Amino acid sequence: MTTCDLCDKPAIYHDVRIVNNVPNTVHLCKEHAIEAGIDIAQSDFSVVLKIQEQSKSPIKSCPDCGMTIPDYKKATLLGCPTCYETFSGELDGVIKRVQNNKSEHIGSCPNQLGESTQRELLIRNLLKELNEAVQTEAYEKAAVIRDQIKTLHEQKDD
Amino acid sequence: MIDPTHNQLFSSAEAPFGDVVLSSRARLARNLDGFPFVNKSSGDDCAEVTELLRKASIEVEDGISLDWIPIDELDELRAQLFVERHLVSSKLINNQYPRAVAIGKELIRSVMVNEEDHIRIQCIRPGLQLSAVFDDVYDLDKRLNESISYAFHKDLGYLTACPTNLGTGARFSVMVHLPGLKIVKDLGRIQNACKAMSLAIRGFQGEGSKALGDIYQVSNQVTLGYTEEELLSLIADQFLPPVIDWERKARMHIIETNAAELDDRIYRAIGTIKTARLLSLEEAMQCLGHIRLGIATNRINDIDINLVNQSFINIQPAHVKWHSDSQLPETDIPKVRCELIRELLHL
Repeated sequence: MTTCDLCDKPAIYHDVRIVNNVPNTVHLCKEHAIEAGIDIAQSDFSVVLKIQEQSKSPIKSCPDCGMTIPDYKKATLLGCPTCYETFSGELDGVIKRVQNNKSEHIGSCPNQLGESTQRELLIRNLLKELNEAVQTEAYEKAAVIRDQIKTLHEQKDD
Repeated sequence: MIDPTHNQLFSSAEAPFGDVVLSSRARLARNLDGFPFVNKSSGDDCAEVTELLRKASIEVEDGISLDWIPIDELDELRAQLFVERHLVSSKLINNQYPRAVAIGKELIRSVMVNEEDHIRIQCIRPGLQLSAVFDDVYDLDKRLNESISYAFHKDLGYLTACPTNLGTGARFSVMVHLPGLKIVKDLGRIQNACKAMSLAIRGFQGEGSKALGDIYQVSNQVTLGYTEEELLSLIADQFLPPVIDWERKARMHIIETNAAELDDRIYRAIGTIKTARLLSLEEAMQCLGHIRLGIATNRINDIDINLVNQSFINIQPAHVKWHSDSQLPETDIPKVRCELIRELLHL
């Protein structure tokens, strides 16, 4: 089954064109076809025309490494750190699927981070610990963690 | 130069839960800030990353002795020895651009440079020692980070070429020997437990491989949204205790209900090893697995379990060549393996 060039869903629109003697294919799922402005009620021919119109604007590529979503789908690897910003919309679902619906890092971080990012990550870790302490009814521990979070928030406001 | 046949790694007899857990491994995936990932890197990028890591590895030295080995300077046999010991991956060996590995002399730690990510730090220890291997890789990670900036995103964590390694970039795994559950046909329990805890279960040689010798590799699938300690605890505190209990009970059950069949398997395995003239890897691993079961259940006591553990690795193809003749034709390996395994086990 052919999947959409922009996500993992089955493609329902297919377009193959020859540009400079090179075959060029576009596969889109229903949602991305609609998002691309294609009227799905129209005839196949006009759909193809619309896709051609859409594809005149170049496929989005990473400004740092040139990676595109079709490239990613072939290699299943991103090209550089900037790809995660460039394709954040497209990758959101992929990341949630492979990471058990998680999308926020907790845990260790490198030493080169700025103070505010370090503080933000520390607060995130402490909030998780607070939640666990409350769930296990460890209220004294929870109070200590709550105070730590409060202090970190105050530092943020300074 | 490192002795690739160092055997310390396989001393599970003295290691925690060594009757079931053969070894523990932790690995961290990291990429350098300001460089494309390996699959989009030019040869010059890879050479630059390799050089930065070489310098950083030298600075790490204090207390940790790492041998820096550019892969292109490694002969094919030695490269395969490291692959069979899980110190480097086939992917690293087969990549075409500048790449290297830094290996600790005791063959426990390694840092792969320009594999799928710029850096893969890993450590393996015998038995259940996940906290120890994590401390090892975390220490190396922090030391490398003193001279190198990592690619990091405040929500996605450490940025990796594949989204399956995002977040902590941490993969913990254990090699478990489960012949008891195999005999009582209860391996489905393990698969269900893995599924429920989002753990991956694979064979002895990793992804897509068979469970040779009834040895399975279990690792965390998810790397984002949990702390390293939580991921470690998932395997060490939630998955393994019941699995070790099930396996031990299965072994006891077999002894109580069908000791003759168990002894038959064990002594047939010894007989095969003593008399075989050709042994495939699969058959040899199966024999070793049954002998190991015999030792762990005290049905036999004249073979050292650590020698069996060492043999699992030493009878792999490159190791057979290393022990006999580096030019040994592939077709002669099953024959030489028989002689080698008898020598290793003193049979």
